[in-house]
Amino acid sequence: MSALRLVSSVARRAPTLTLGRRGYAEVADKIKLSLVLPHQAIFTSTDVVQVNLSAATGDMGILANHVPSIEPLRPGVVEVIEASNASKKWFVSGGFATVHPNNKLTINVVEAAPLEDFSAEAVRANLAEAQKVIAGNGSEEDKTEARIEADVYEALQHALSSK
Amino acid sequence: MSATWRAHFSFNKYSQICARALRQSLKEGERVQAEKRGLTALRYQQWSNGQGGEQVYLNPPVDEAPKKSAAV
Repeated sequence: MSALRLVSSVARRAPTLTLGRRGYAEVADKIKLSLVLPHQAIFTSTDVVQVNLSAATGDMGILANHVPSIEPLRPGVVEVIEASNASKKWFVSGGFATVHPNNKLTINVVEAAPLEDFSAEAVRANLAEAQKVIAGNGSEEDKTEARIEADVYEALQHALSSK
Repeated sequence: MSATWRAHFSFNKYSQICARALRQSLKEGERVQAEKRGLTALRYQQWSNGQGGEQVYLNPPVDEAPKKSAAV
């Protein structure tokens, strides 16, 4: 009976041991960011102050000591605020952002580019093209594909106009 | 939030479509470079006796304009 009690008390105490310190995310601290594409590493464990993501569930900002989480990213802007308070913006095509328990943030995306690398004319032309396919009488699959592309172009236009 | 693309595409295909749309929106110089690497998604080589064999492209790089549907 006492052995049973010991087991149950250990089981009850175990989570608090692994959980570590709990608290609010902090501005004064830094978080280690890795922003990685299949062909390039933009950041590798660099100390940054804040990272703003366009997650699938909504826009969010990540500070140091953020609670561990996994967020799918929609096509949108990733803004990185570095130690000097300089902010840089990339447009990413989608992927995953993972906040690890040891104050690390890894962002894995398929394709990304700085906002200044985009051509507003190309975006407008592509969007018009995609909308033509959506309005046309192609297969349901073609239309869905065009809808996905149009979402990317609309997000791009929004990002470029609010640069 | 329901993703309507789920009815037709896998997540991999969806993310490839998004990536291709992004590449097509880049400025001329960057776009040419990006579209080149967009096509070589996978390359493999066979190793035997500690020697690497020839590297084979799964999607051989093409010089002409990339087809609309590069991703599988």
